[in-house]
Amino acid sequence: MSASQTTLGRGLEQQFELSIGCIPLRLHVSDARVLSQARERYRAFAGNEAPPFSIYLKESFAENGGNPEFVYDFEAQHAALRAFSAESQFIGAKNAYALDSLLRILLSWVLLRHAGFLLHGATVVRKGRAYIFTGSSGAGKSTIASFSPAGSVLTDEISLLRRENGEWRAYGTPFWGEFRATGSNSSAPVAGIFRLAHAPENHIKPLRAVETLRGILPNVLFFSEELAANQRLLEILGQAVKEISGYNLAFRRDKTFWEALPS
Amino acid sequence: MSTPIGPWQKNSALAWREIDDETVIISPTENVMHELNDTGSFLWKNIDGRRTSAELAELLAAEYEVTPSAALADTEALLQQLISSKLLVPAAAATDGVPR
Repeated sequence: MSASQTTLGRGLEQQFELSIGCIPLRLHVSDARVLSQARERYRAFAGNEAPPFSIYLKESFAENGGNPEFVYDFEAQHAALRAFSAESQFIGAKNAYALDSLLRILLSWVLLRHAGFLLHGATVVRKGRAYIFTGSSGAGKSTIASFSPAGSVLTDEISLLRRENGEWRAYGTPFWGEFRATGSNSSAPVAGIFRLAHAPENHIKPLRAVETLRGILPNVLFFSEELAANQRLLEILGQAVKEISGYNLAFRRDKTFWEALPS
Repeated sequence: MSTPIGPWQKNSALAWREIDDETVIISPTENVMHELNDTGSFLWKNIDGRRTSAELAELLAAEYEVTPSAALADTEALLQQLISSKLLVPAAAATDGVPR
């Protein structure tokens, strides 16, 4: 593990650096148990090289801490975040689950500046290209992952897509569903987005750009109600559906679905 | 169907974007996506807070080579839908700029 550790100030806070989707992050954690869970949870994503976006895990938000650009209250976990241009504060991240949830919410916002977004979907790499299988719970994301070769699944739950140098790439994330794993911190160019449905026989139907958008929008993770952020998200998604081929994929529960996919 | 004389303005709380010949509109506070076809998109682009339904219908008639009466009927029907869906508000109620 290449995570850096630095003892700061009162000797309580430690840092843990990681990178998700090539977004460099640095966790500042005082709780040893949470730090241990984070190291285990994100071990495949540890370390980064670029100047990171700092995340401070705190007991309470600092008073007079300035005006955050993004605020989210995760009421179910009694947790919340405030995000600024180069750092964020988390409160209530007392376990790996709450930390994971806040991290997803923060990433969905940070990705706006990196022409990227998070999508409920499994990502499987085949012949060097990433196939994104999206759908709501029960649509078959984990089923697809379970029928894919070991090591080819970048995630079975939350896919991360970014446009870099004119190309859409899908990244592995540490956010997994039923197909438990720590994730793979690697990426591949996107072959297509496939909207899943179970069926007795395999069938694939190409979608127009606006149909693809209609299909993926309910599965895009986004938590800001701020107009400018939503406008930016729509620009990114609009570009994605124009440049990435989208399909409806009805599939039966076996490996033969690959035969229906475009090569 | 004679309600939408206008002028009407796009609801400035909405995010929207053209994709191919269609327009997609989303409300940040609601999980609803609205879609406009090509004629709907043409009218949406020309709704500027100043034009009345009659003026919009004139543009539509010229663009799509339909009769003035048909254009006016189509324009008012669409405006009525947009008003009902709160995608348009009276021009006086619009606040800041329209998102691009």
